[in-house]
Amino acid sequence: MKWSTDRRGFLAAGGAALAGLAMQPRFAWAADGSVLRIRLIGDFQVVDPYSMIGELDDILQRCCTVTLCRISDLREGNTISPYAAEQFEWTSPTTLAFTLHEGLQWTNGFGPVTAEDVKYSFERIAGSDSAWAYQFDMLDHVEVTGERSGIIHLSEHFAPFEVIALPYYAGHIVCKAATEAVGGSFTTEFPAQCGPYLFDKWEQNARVTLKRNPDWPLAAPAFDTVEFYLIEDDAAARLAFEADAVDFTRVNVAAGRDFAANLPDGAALIETASTTYVWLTINMNAEPLRDIRVRQAIQYAYDGDAVLQGAYDGLTERATGVIQPDPLYSRQSNLIAARDVDKARALLADAGAEGVTLNLYCQTDSTTLATAQIIQASLAEAGINIEIQPTEEASYWALGDRESGEDYKSIELVLMAFAGGVDPTENLVWFRPDQIGLYNWSFFDSAEFEDLYEKSLAETDREARAAMFHRMEDLMEESGGFVFICFEPYIAVHDAGIVPVILADGHPDPTRFTRK
Amino acid sequence: MSFAADSRTDGARPRPRGALGRLMSEPMGATGAVLVALFIAVALFAPLIAPYDPLALDIPAKLQGPSLAHPAGTDQLGRDTLSRLIYGARTALAIAMGATGAAGVIGLALGMMAGYGPRWLDGALMLVLDSLASLPMILFALAVITVLGPSATTLVFVIILVSISGYARLVRAQTLGLANAEFIQAERTMGASNLRILFRHLMPNVVGPLLIVLSMDVPVVIMLEAGLSYLNLGIRPPVPSWGNILYDGYSSLRQQPALVIAAGVPLVLSTIGFTFLGEGLRDALDPRLKGGGP
Repeated sequence: MKWSTDRRGFLAAGGAALAGLAMQPRFAWAADGSVLRIRLIGDFQVVDPYSMIGELDDILQRCCTVTLCRISDLREGNTISPYAAEQFEWTSPTTLAFTLHEGLQWTNGFGPVTAEDVKYSFERIAGSDSAWAYQFDMLDHVEVTGERSGIIHLSEHFAPFEVIALPYYAGHIVCKAATEAVGGSFTTEFPAQCGPYLFDKWEQNARVTLKRNPDWPLAAPAFDTVEFYLIEDDAAARLAFEADAVDFTRVNVAAGRDFAANLPDGAALIETASTTYVWLTINMNAEPLRDIRVRQAIQYAYDGDAVLQGAYDGLTERATGVIQPDPLYSRQSNLIAARDVDKARALLADAGAEGVTLNLYCQTDSTTLATAQIIQASLAEAGINIEIQPTEEASYWALGDRESGEDYKSIELVLMAFAGGVDPTENLVWFRPDQIGLYNWSFFDSAEFEDLYEKSLAETDREARAAMFHRMEDLMEESGGFVFICFEPYIAVHDAGIVPVILADGHPDPTRFTRK
Repeated sequence: MSFAADSRTDGARPRPRGALGRLMSEPMGATGAVLVALFIAVALFAPLIAPYDPLALDIPAKLQGPSLAHPAGTDQLGRDTLSRLIYGARTALAIAMGATGAAGVIGLALGMMAGYGPRWLDGALMLVLDSLASLPMILFALAVITVLGPSATTLVFVIILVSISGYARLVRAQTLGLANAEFIQAERTMGASNLRILFRHLMPNVVGPLLIVLSMDVPVVIMLEAGLSYLNLGIRPPVPSWGNILYDGYSSLRQQPALVIAAGVPLVLSTIGFTFLGEGLRDALDPRLKGGGP
């Protein structure tokens, strides 16, 4: 048979073949069923727990290293269970004993995971300038009692320690020998790995691929391969999911509403409360905002209802602070609970700041831009002019970073959102004085807040802790440095054939995703 | 004596003699001129035409489809899309015509200086202009916006900077061609100053081709502004721009497709209008096509 083709024939045949494939329901670009494809917003930057930054940094560590214990899905109460530690128990109010599983082996010939690795991992971050050092505020030292066993000694009893310190971020264990061999820190390459998956391939700003670790001694993960697709745009991510190019993605509020009304066949929707708190930072160090009356004018002029309806479709409520809604720990209401434009105008007039113009920095996703524009409109009613400065992610996070220059002192307003933790102190820690120039962009500097923070770590009585937390959030609000907006709803869609696990900070845990 | 062989002057009706008359006598040119005039009128009289304040939020009315109250629907914050499109015309034309106009004036001056001035000046100017021409517009725009931050001023600055070179080179070529023409030689012989020669005799002859190119470039700049605003690198919200209306439409595509369609219509029409106008101007100002007979 003679085979011949020309350009027109090739295009026709190719088009027909693609059309035929695309007509199959949920046409799969990645046909291999053992691949879990997760969409994330941004690429990773640092996989060293000492200086990790973003979501994928944490997820990669979770996949390629271990923690002593791990935390359950946020919808199941955030309970703790042992993981790399086969034994894990409080032996006194200040000592936590652990024994590592046998068979946990580092790659690159670095031998087994040892208690010495645990000691090294925790003690190098405790008391350091790492942003995650707060996790080990109460750590005194780690005592090595055997190759696989040790005792964590705390300076004072702190029950939430196991929740705050151990399951994520700085709780990831690194290989001491391998880390020291590369100079004591690393960025985008693990010097040694020991997790359910091993790092396989990085296509920058596009995809990260992990492969199952053949030497993993604990429960095997459900998928041979995990692929992270890096798609910044929510609408594009939604299209990717509908084209079956990803199995799991978070979606924005608008998409969540659509999916709730009309879920595609073979898809499932997750809608739950998240720990991600959203607030307006008012930098009290910036010249026009040094006068507390101007800051308070912003707090009074802010239209919370309009933001909740306009940007969040009424799916969430006004936040009363940075502590997620809780019958005990969160405040009942804000000190400035109702909008008062006349009072805002009067405060501005007192301060001689009528017609003041301020820059509002925000990220560029549609929900944030909508929030910024509503804030702009509501503040304009009081005579405050807002210039919205949409800022792409990398530049955005440099705004308040003292390492990036002096601009952090003069940024005026910033729309911010942080993923919270389980214990309230995990959300409050970013507003301590030592976080100015790191994550405390309001320049909120309260000795009383710091004192209460320290006390709350050691306090065991829940009621007393709650009183401390309420006072701390009162102080934040009284400073005029904050407008608490909401806790973002957590909305994600996924292939109905898989069961996702989502942690308290909203990060998925691919090592525990399973098939139905 | 007749020139019946020229098909463009065939028939009973001779071509009008004035440039405007010739422009309006051709369907393409007339369509372009009408569309451009329409957009300019909309931009100029936006406050009189727009049914609503383009910045006024009406959150309960968000993402509504077209209706009598809101002929182009509303956006995700309940703002009237038609009003935003009308004011968006003002933004688009102000930036596009302002930037290309400024670049045209600067390019005209530099081109005439290079073409009529001494050789050292020509060499120096061409060196600078060639350097500017080597900047890829989009990449240069992204780099400048990253450094200076997105704003209308930054956008205009970038457009002027990357456009000057092309205009100056065009004018220089025209000037070089005319510098030794008989009528210029005659002026020189009669003792006319260089300034008089430049402004009275050269400029009127080189400005025609420049106008055509400027007209053709306006839609390019409109699309650039819209593209950068779509990427949140151009006009900052809430100022209406066709680009950021398009972005809002894209973000809400599933809930309200009318928004993205509405934002696309003026972009298409303005592109057609300015392109047709440029084509029409080229025909109308081409001296070889002037007149309907001897």
